[in-house]
Amino acid sequence: MAKRRFRETWRVWAVVAAIVVGFVVVIGRLAQLQILEHDQYAEQARDIHYGVETLTDRRGAILDRNGYPLAASEAAYNVMVEKRAWTDAATAQAAAAELAEITGVSANEMVETVAQTEVFEIPVARGLHYQQAVGVRALGLSGVRLLESSRRVYPEGNLAAQLLGFVGQDNNGLTGLETDLDSILGGNPGSVTYERDGLGRQLAYGERSEIPAQPGANVVLTVDRYIQRLAEQELDKAIQDHEAAGGTIIVVKPETGEVLAMASRPTFDVTQPLVDDGSKQALYRNRAITDTYEPGSVFKLITASAAIDLGLVSPGTWWNDTGVVHLSDWSIYNWDYSANGSQTVQQLLSKSLNTGAAWLASLCGPQSFYDYIARFGFGMTTDSGLSGEVEGRVRTPKTDAEGWSAVDMATNSFGQGIAVTPLQMAMAVAAIANDGQLMKPQFVKEIIGPLSRSEVEPEVVRQVMSPESARTMLDMMGVVVDGYTTVDVPGYEVGGKTGTANIATENGGYKPDAYISSFAGVAPLEDPQIAVLVKIDEPKDVPWGTVVAAPAFNRLAHQALAYMNVPPTEEALVASVDN
Amino acid sequence: MATSRNGARSIPQAAAGGSLPIVILVATLIVGTAALLPLVQNSLATSTGGNISHLEQQREDWQARLHEQEVAVAQLGSLERIEREAKARFKMVEPENVTYIQVDVAPAAPHKLPSRYLPPEDSSTGSGSSLIDDVFGWIPFP
Repeated sequence: MAKRRFRETWRVWAVVAAIVVGFVVVIGRLAQLQILEHDQYAEQARDIHYGVETLTDRRGAILDRNGYPLAASEAAYNVMVEKRAWTDAATAQAAAAELAEITGVSANEMVETVAQTEVFEIPVARGLHYQQAVGVRALGLSGVRLLESSRRVYPEGNLAAQLLGFVGQDNNGLTGLETDLDSILGGNPGSVTYERDGLGRQLAYGERSEIPAQPGANVVLTVDRYIQRLAEQELDKAIQDHEAAGGTIIVVKPETGEVLAMASRPTFDVTQPLVDDGSKQALYRNRAITDTYEPGSVFKLITASAAIDLGLVSPGTWWNDTGVVHLSDWSIYNWDYSANGSQTVQQLLSKSLNTGAAWLASLCGPQSFYDYIARFGFGMTTDSGLSGEVEGRVRTPKTDAEGWSAVDMATNSFGQGIAVTPLQMAMAVAAIANDGQLMKPQFVKEIIGPLSRSEVEPEVVRQVMSPESARTMLDMMGVVVDGYTTVDVPGYEVGGKTGTANIATENGGYKPDAYISSFAGVAPLEDPQIAVLVKIDEPKDVPWGTVVAAPAFNRLAHQALAYMNVPPTEEALVASVDN
Repeated sequence: MATSRNGARSIPQAAAGGSLPIVILVATLIVGTAALLPLVQNSLATSTGGNISHLEQQREDWQARLHEQEVAVAQLGSLERIEREAKARFKMVEPENVTYIQVDVAPAAPHKLPSRYLPPEDSSTGSGSSLIDDVFGWIPFP
């Protein structure tokens, strides 16, 4: 009896112990799940129960200086289809057929897209216009919804394509100002967090919190669409007339450094950029800031400015041109191999004598000569704010003590052996036209946010030369142009200098029978309103800047000055009208 | 005595028999009404939610149409289109000569930015603004 009781007691205790152990295990596991690993599972639960979507508002517009939109955004809609809604082939085909009539996408393509996807829902048509979206909405198809996004449009077409750049499918800037101003144009994204059901759909009465997105600011550029178009038309004409490989035109307002136009060729279709095509990548870069060239005789303006500002010469200073300058093992000749005898500084600029430029540089000496080159902004970026801008290349006794020689200074004096960007050259000429004051190139005039607007003030970089020396240089540029038959802007006195330069190759040396023709001009001389650089790459017929680049400046200045309401300086051309 | 006792008994019975159903009825009505309240509230919330959703949809539609119109205006005013129309419709040609005429009038005022690109003049929204103002305030009605 006692043995039996003991056996029963043992069994009971065993069961109790098993239950207790079971409870302990369960409680322990519960403690592990709910206390120790609480955060992890809570997060997983949140992920399952709550959905988060990023909200974006409208991207800001890019406007020209007068408020005309160069790039703007409009609503676009993507048609989203839930995979489970189109599991039945007949239903899918019928719905797709209805959608196809509105979207223009083939029904079979849409059905196939949905059938092949592994995700909950997928876009079957993108970038629909508002009216198309209304049509889709009116169909009331089950499992089909519209997802609003936006589309970038360029009302002026491909105007200033490389400067503006373009955006990707996610509406972020990929090139040009669209990238550089992305944080301003893009605004601040918001988010919506909502409770969802097992299929991922938002619960009608579930929790929902929304942080609204902020729209992007509108950006007003300094670019004038009219002058930009003039620049592009003249560039195209010059390239076509001379079968050139490309070119650049930059128009700057000297007083403020505002860039009124910046055009480069070859270009691309900004409305349909072929991002996936690697061969097109080179077209997207803004050659006015990313590419360097040897400026040739235009650079004599810089050499003459240095010599005049140092008080070493005046326009009437005499010098004897023997037609050759010997330096070490090198001989430097004039472009036409001429020997002109007694010449003034004005004449050496008008005749574009290489030997004269070398003489001016030798008068300055290496230290002063390269000091002026640096003061004009060569060998460093202009701090334009545009991405991809390069510094150019200036070899000086300081930067390359072993490699530099006196021949370098001589060739630099007439713009060879030195690499500059078109923008650097344009800003340097603008500095001469602005009483010797170098301005920072300005592309953004104003930023207009949803609640405020802020203007961008012009910035002075430095006083490169005295106002008197700058005035002297302007007068000399006017005399230079008097000798050009291709430059005659009726009603205005203009000044400038041509350049014809060899093209350096990557391996050293120069490309045979290939030149860059350029012209840097200022108009009107009395009170300069525009400084223009015209650069034409590899013209096929003639290389001379007077023939290839100067006419483009002539036509551009003529129309731009009239457009800018700049009164003509020659009274004879002005007819009076009595009111 | 017996009668009076019976009568005394019947009064409370009658009173109880008459009032209890009423109490139960009233209580049922109260409980029923109270039970319906969440339903009514839910219904109202659904209705209001639907209205808000509808108005939000309308707002987005107006906004989309507004932006589309802005783009259309910009495209109509593009230089390329103006030149094309001038040449094709009005048979205009490029000028060969330019004559400058001096006139005794003030120069044109500087071009102003279109108001649609500017921030609203008074961005502060007063606490007393109406729902209509809140919803449709962004539309630049003349």
